[in-house]
Amino acid sequence: MEPVQLFNLASQQARWLSTRQAVIAGNVANANTAGFRPMDVESFATVLSKTSPSMVATDTMHLGGDAFGSAVGIAERESEVPVRPSGNSVKLEDELVKAGEIRRGFELNTAIVKAFHRMILMAAKTS
Amino acid sequence: MDPIATALKVAASGLHAQSERLRIVSENLANAQSTGNTPGADPYQRKTIAFAAEVDRLTGGDFVRIADIARDDAPFRVEFDPGHEAADEDGYVKLPNVNALVEMADMSEANRAYEANLQVIKQARDLISMTIDLMRNQ
Amino acid sequence: MNPLSIIGGLAKSDALSSIAEALSGNAAGAAPVAGTSFVDALGDVAGKVVDTLKRSESLSIQALGGADVNARDVADAVMSAEQSLQAAIAIRDKIVSAYLEVSRMAI
Repeated sequence: MEPVQLFNLASQQARWLSTRQAVIAGNVANANTAGFRPMDVESFATVLSKTSPSMVATDTMHLGGDAFGSAVGIAERESEVPVRPSGNSVKLEDELVKAGEIRRGFELNTAIVKAFHRMILMAAKTS
Repeated sequence: MDPIATALKVAASGLHAQSERLRIVSENLANAQSTGNTPGADPYQRKTIAFAAEVDRLTGGDFVRIADIARDDAPFRVEFDPGHEAADEDGYVKLPNVNALVEMADMSEANRAYEANLQVIKQARDLISMTIDLMRNQ
Repeated sequence: MNPLSIIGGLAKSDALSSIAEALSGNAAGAAPVAGTSFVDALGDVAGKVVDTLKRSESLSIQALGGADVNARDVADAVMSAEQSLQAAIAIRDKIVSAYLEVSRMAI
């Protein structure tokens, strides 16, 4: 059992998490910008179903700059919070909650990868 | 560009924007009682700051920049004080259109936003660390 | 017990499965001896390695894909896999060194 599928999935999730982190950073930085609405990425499951094996031509304008990065859709999130008179609807608490989700996902991701990497090394080592 | 590196830069632009905002608030508070020197002169006029989002073509990040630092053209407060050096012929002195309570509220909002940007920077740094740690030997 | 198949298993590039295969290959192909409990024990270890590895991989893939998996379950499964893998490796190494010792004996 070579867990290639696992490592590939872990890489894709790491890139999805990184893209989401950049979007959250943009929301927090623009918490007081007039007319700004918070953005978020599509769910990871959605991205997985869209990413085809064939690599499409990359558009360097997209976050991530590679085929996977351009596959991660970024859209304005529906705001349940009433929009302020300035047109801004960023809620800092929501953004920090999302940041916490990203951190947890990342920690789990790196821990899993590290563990399987360790096991493979363990098995390949002869005493 | 690595999205996490972009996140760091975006959060840094947020820090800069909120620091400027804090500076404007401090100026307003410090000059809340600053009148003119000559009879009938205008006092300190409250400053306002406005931000704008800026999408960077290279990294794709939503940066924030300072769009405008302007003067608030709300009317000045007026007090009757004939002995004052800035009193006009009727004895009225114009005082700044600064409301200390409003400025204090703005200051704590700016602090909150500054802290949030700082959190983002810390997290982005930690995520990079975790990634590099994968290569470290145990 | 056929130690040669362990060496053959080691020669395969797929390190993780070579241990499981070698051990289960041994357990299956061994002639019935007075100590069949040892062969059974080997078979158990091999089976355990495969099972725990499969479970840990499956749970990890679910967790990475975003499914609602308990982080503790993932951690437990991975630890369990590591433990049984470590045990299997220890056994493999002992078998190999025993075989080498035997092969060095003067006839």
